[in-house]
Amino acid sequence: MSYGKIGQPLGRIEGPAKVTGEAKYTADVLLPGMIWGKVLRSPLPHAKIVSIDTQEAEQMPGILAVLTAKDLPDLLTGRLVYDMPVLAIDRVRFIGEKVAVVAAEDPDMAEDALASIDVEYEEMPAVFDAHEAMKSEAPLLHPDYRSYAHAPQKFFSDIPNVHSHVTWKLGDIDKGFALAKRVFEHTFNTPAVHQGYIEPHASVVAIDPDGRVNVWISNKMPVRARELLADVIEIPEERIVVHLAQIGADFGGKGSLMDAPLCYHLAKRTGRPVKMVMTYTEELMAGNPRHPTSIFLRTGVTEEGQIVARQAKVVFNSGAYAAFKPVPFVNIPGAKDAAGVYGTPHIRIDAYSVYANCVPSGHFRAPGDLQVNFAVESSMDMIAEDLGLDRLEFRKQNLLKDGDWVPGGPQLEEVRVAETLAAAVKASSWNQPKSQPNRGLGLAVSHRLIGTGEANTQLTLEEDGTIQVLTPVPEVGTGAHTILQQIVAETLFLSLDQVRVETASEIFKTDSGSGASRVTYVGGQVVQQAAGELMKLILAAGAKGLGCAENEVVFEGGRVVHSESDGSLSLAEVAKMGGDGKSALRVKKSLNLSEGPPMTTFTAQVVELEVDPETGQIRLLDVVTAHDVGTIINPLGHQGQIEGGLLQGVGFGLIEELRMEDGQVSTLNLGDYKLPNIRDIPPLTTVLVEEELGPAPFHGKAIGESSITPTGAAIANAVYDAVGVRFHDLPITAEKVYWALQQHSGGEG
Amino acid sequence: MTHTIRLNVNGKEHTVEVPSRRLLIDCLRYDLGLTGTKEGCSVGVCGACTVLMDGKPISSCLALALFADGKEIVTVEGLAREDRLDRVQQAFIDYGGFQCGICTPGMVVTAKALLDENPDPTVDEIKEWMMGNLCRCTGYYKIIESIQGATALEPGGE
Repeated sequence: MSYGKIGQPLGRIEGPAKVTGEAKYTADVLLPGMIWGKVLRSPLPHAKIVSIDTQEAEQMPGILAVLTAKDLPDLLTGRLVYDMPVLAIDRVRFIGEKVAVVAAEDPDMAEDALASIDVEYEEMPAVFDAHEAMKSEAPLLHPDYRSYAHAPQKFFSDIPNVHSHVTWKLGDIDKGFALAKRVFEHTFNTPAVHQGYIEPHASVVAIDPDGRVNVWISNKMPVRARELLADVIEIPEERIVVHLAQIGADFGGKGSLMDAPLCYHLAKRTGRPVKMVMTYTEELMAGNPRHPTSIFLRTGVTEEGQIVARQAKVVFNSGAYAAFKPVPFVNIPGAKDAAGVYGTPHIRIDAYSVYANCVPSGHFRAPGDLQVNFAVESSMDMIAEDLGLDRLEFRKQNLLKDGDWVPGGPQLEEVRVAETLAAAVKASSWNQPKSQPNRGLGLAVSHRLIGTGEANTQLTLEEDGTIQVLTPVPEVGTGAHTILQQIVAETLFLSLDQVRVETASEIFKTDSGSGASRVTYVGGQVVQQAAGELMKLILAAGAKGLGCAENEVVFEGGRVVHSESDGSLSLAEVAKMGGDGKSALRVKKSLNLSEGPPMTTFTAQVVELEVDPETGQIRLLDVVTAHDVGTIINPLGHQGQIEGGLLQGVGFGLIEELRMEDGQVSTLNLGDYKLPNIRDIPPLTTVLVEEELGPAPFHGKAIGESSITPTGAAIANAVYDAVGVRFHDLPITAEKVYWALQQHSGGEG
Repeated sequence: MTHTIRLNVNGKEHTVEVPSRRLLIDCLRYDLGLTGTKEGCSVGVCGACTVLMDGKPISSCLALALFADGKEIVTVEGLAREDRLDRVQQAFIDYGGFQCGICTPGMVVTAKALLDENPDPTVDEIKEWMMGNLCRCTGYYKIIESIQGATALEPGGE
C-alpha cells in the first residue's frame, strides 16, 4: 500500500528549534526573581537522623530558606507506591538521600550553605546486596511497607525486604521438568547502569499571586506528574499547571517528580520562583538507574533438544525505595521474558524486587528485558554446547510459533521470529568459515510486546484552515510529534505544513505519556481516530455551507467539494462556518488500551568481534541487527531508534557500570562512568523484515525498545566463541577479559 | 571579587560584571540569556557546553568567564545568518543527527569548527574530532552522516 506522508524519511518538526538553540528545556527557563535550590545528601547508607542544625546556614549571605523534613507535610511520594520522603524523615536509607534543602540567590551560595548544615547521624546496620537483604537476619529498610499508599497487596511477600513478588506461569512446571531428560542451571548478574541522558533532571516552580502553581519539569508524563505533585504538596490538581518543555532524553528515567516538590516548598517559603538542576554527580549518585539484577535459570530439555521447562528466579535490587517504579505490581516487567523467544510449554518465573541500602532503581529502556535476555541467550549457547548441538539449530528448533503463549502476554499471532533470525544470519558472516584466531561470532534473539496505556488528543480546525493537534505527550526525543503530524496529515489528506502539533497538559485529565513503546501504537491510534471524526465534522459543516446533503460532498485537494455543482469550500471557509457558526471545529478524544495486540516484535542480532589476548580489549568488527517491522511511518526516526538503542546495548555489554562499594557509587562523573562515544560505534548492518501487518496506525509496529535488548548477550556469546571464556556478568570489560584469559591459560598450563 | 569583562558573542560586543569564579557557561546562559549552550556533565567530558573561542571549540563549563575577556565567542545561536541555517544545522535536521537535541548545540558548534578547518573530512577524521561530544540518543551514525551531508551543502552565512 502506498501513502503520501506515511513512509517519508522526514526531519523533525522541532528540528529548527533544536539546531539553533531556541528549543527550551527545563533548565533554560529563566523567570524574573528566580532563585536556586540545592540539596544536602546523606553520606551514610543507613542511619537515624539525631539532629539537624541549620542555624549557621540560615545566617549566610544570599540564603533565603533552609528546609528539613520538619518544615514539610509528613507525606511520602513515588511513581506508584508512595514510599519515599521528599526530605528524609528521621532516617536515611541510601548514600545520596536528600536531607535538607537550601534556596539562595545563586547556585554557588546555595552550595556553600550546604557545607554549614550540621547533621548528626546514628549509623544503623546496612545491607547492599539483594540476596543478603532477603535473609532473615537482614536489617529491614521499610518495616511499615504494607501501610504505604498504593502498596500492591497482591504481590506482598514474607521474605525480608521483598516489596513485590510477581509470578508468571504457563503449564505446570513440575510436569515440565518430569518430561526433561537434562536439566541445566545457570546464574547471571548485571550491574546498575545509568540512562545516560545528557540533560540532568531539572525542575522549576513559580507560584502566581492567586495561588496557581506553575511547574516546569523534565518529566515525560506531565499529566501523571500533576497528579503525583497534587498529592505530595496537598494542592488540588486544578491549581497546578505543568508547562511542557523539551526533554533532554528520557530512556525511561524521566517519569518521577524528582525535585519539583522541593521547588514548590521553597517557592512557597520565599515567594520567589525556584529552580533546581541536579548536577551529573547527583544523577549518578541518586538518579534512578537500571536495576542491578541476578537471574537464575533452570531449564529442562528433552533428548531431542526440545525445551520443555523453564524456571526463572529474577532478583532486582530495588535500592532504598520502590518510588521510581511506575507499574501497578511495583516490579520489573522484563522478567516475564525469561523464556526468551522459545516456545516453552511449562514456565514459572518469579520476580522479586528487593529493598537494599543503595540508590533507588528505576526504569531504563526495555526495563528488565536486557538483564533477562543476557541470561537466556547466554544459556542457550551453553546448553547447545553441552548437548552437542549447533547453537543456531538448537534455537531454530525451539522458536515460538503462531498460537504459542508468552508469559504475561497474549496467544501470539503472526510470529515472525524464524524469518527475523534467518535474515540476521544471512546478512552476517555466520556461515563463513572461522577466519582468524581470537575472533568470534555470537547471536541473540529477543522479543518485545507492544505497550498499552492511555492516550489523549484534541484536534481543532483553526480559522486559517490548519489543523492544531494538541497532545499531552512531550517530545522526549523519539520523534513522536513528527509521527503524530504524519498520521494526521495522512488521514486528512493534507500537507504536513497544514498540521501543527502542540503540547498541552492542562486540558487532559489522565494520560500514560511516553514509554513502553506505546506512543505510535496508542498515541497514533487516538490521533488517527480523532482525525477521522474531525473529517466527518468538516464534511458536515461543508455540506451545510454548500447547501447540500452530507453524502453529496467529498474532500478533494484540500477542499470540501459538492460533486454535482462546481461549489467548493476551503478548510478556512469551513472553519468559519463550523460548530455554532463561529467557533472552530474540534474533536477531543481519549483512548485507553488495557490489552495489547496478539502480536509481538522480534529482534535478532549477530555480533562479530575480536579479542586482543594481550590486553583483553574487545573490538566489534561487525554487528547485524534484524527487526520484524510493520509499515515504517518515518524511516529516519525508525532507524534512529534502532541505532541509538543498539549503542546503548553495546554500552551495557562492554562498557557501562555504576560501580558501588558498600552503597557508595564510585563512578561519580561522566569521566568515570563511561558512555559509549563516537569511536566506540561498530560497523552496523540493519535488516528490516517488513510486512504490513502491525497493530499501530497504517500497520506499524513498535521499535523504541527493540535493538537495545539482545546486544549484551550476542557480545557475550561472541566472546566465548572467540576465546572460550564464558562471562556470567556484564559488562565484559577489557580488564575482566584479561584476567579471565590469564586464569584460563594458567589453568591449562 | 568582581571583574568587568568585554567579550564578543556571536558578533555582538558585551560588557559584563562577573565574580571571579563565574564560569563562561553561566555567563552566557544567565548573564547574557543565551540558553542554547547546554550543561551536561559539568566536567568537560560530554561536550554539550561546547562554544567556539576565537574559532576553537572549548568546554564552556570548564572555562572561567574571565578567560573570555577580549575574546570572540560563537555559540549555537550564532551559527544561522538571518533566517538561513548554517549547512551543519540544516544537515543535522535532514539526516536525523539529533533526537532529544540536548547535545545538539555542542555537536553543531563542534562540527562547524571541523568543517572550517577541514572542509572534506574522512569518517575517521570526523570521529577523531567529535570524540569529545557525547550523544545518548542517536548512536552517532546519523551524526556522521549529517556532517558528511553538510560538506555537500553550500557553506552558510558569513
